[in-house]
Amino acid sequence: MARSDEPARRSFLRRAALATAGWFGSGAVAAGERLLAATVPGLALGGPEDPEVPNEIVARILKEISGGRPITKGHVSLDMPAAAEDGRVVPVIIESDLPMRPERYVKAVHLVVDFNPDAHLAAFELTPALGTVSLSTRIKMKRSTWVRAIAETSTGELWAGYAHVNVTLNGCG
Amino acid sequence: MRDIGEARIRVPDRINRGEIIYVNSIISHPMDTGFFRTAEGQPIPAYFIKDVVVTYGDEQVARFTWTSGISRDPVFSFALKADKEAPLTMVWSDNEGGVYKQSVNIAFTAT
Repeated sequence: MARSDEPARRSFLRRAALATAGWFGSGAVAAGERLLAATVPGLALGGPEDPEVPNEIVARILKEISGGRPITKGHVSLDMPAAAEDGRVVPVIIESDLPMRPERYVKAVHLVVDFNPDAHLAAFELTPALGTVSLSTRIKMKRSTWVRAIAETSTGELWAGYAHVNVTLNGCG
Repeated sequence: MRDIGEARIRVPDRINRGEIIYVNSIISHPMDTGFFRTAEGQPIPAYFIKDVVVTYGDEQVARFTWTSGISRDPVFSFALKADKEAPLTMVWSDNEGGVYKQSVNIAFTAT
């Protein structure tokens, strides 16, 4: 448990960095959100910034999660190592700047590891009582692949963060 | 952390009302995928935690659906808005019917 303060610290640093960026950029988070929406309009599933869907299995999982709605890159940060030596234990940190208020909150986060035997690795159902989205755990990875963290809001939006991880030692057998 | 299902939840020592805290949890469990064999060649059946329910006071605040893709002896951390003095309880359930429970009390720092 020695490492367990890590998410909180990284989270703090990241928020500090975001706050600084906001300060120099527009000085307001709301303006930043509008800017983001304006620069990446309707980046749907398979948009230029999204990793390719590698096979039918992942396509089906994404369809199950989205129900056909677009999944847009943004508002979700998926923090993973670029290279994982041991595929049995790969750290994952998922954070989001989306609100957690009763009128609009992240109701679920899905973790999809494209080339794992069970690609839809986990789903996290959340409520406004959590205050913010900050989740961390450790997962197994079979081989180098894209990982997707997809957040679904109570208002029906789907936001995603992606990370590519190179895996040296297969952690799935 | 030797016995299966032995679990710990850690929250900060000092908590102020309304503060967002980080809850750290760990549970001892093999999280076997079913893809491995023993040294003698016997298949090791899938044996993993599939469901975690988090309750704060009498409110269910989160629920996690896991597969055997979560690493052995699962650690999990999440944010929680500490807005009441109440127990925080986690219940982990595995695919063999094992149910494991642990609680901590969320109490505010006296000022």
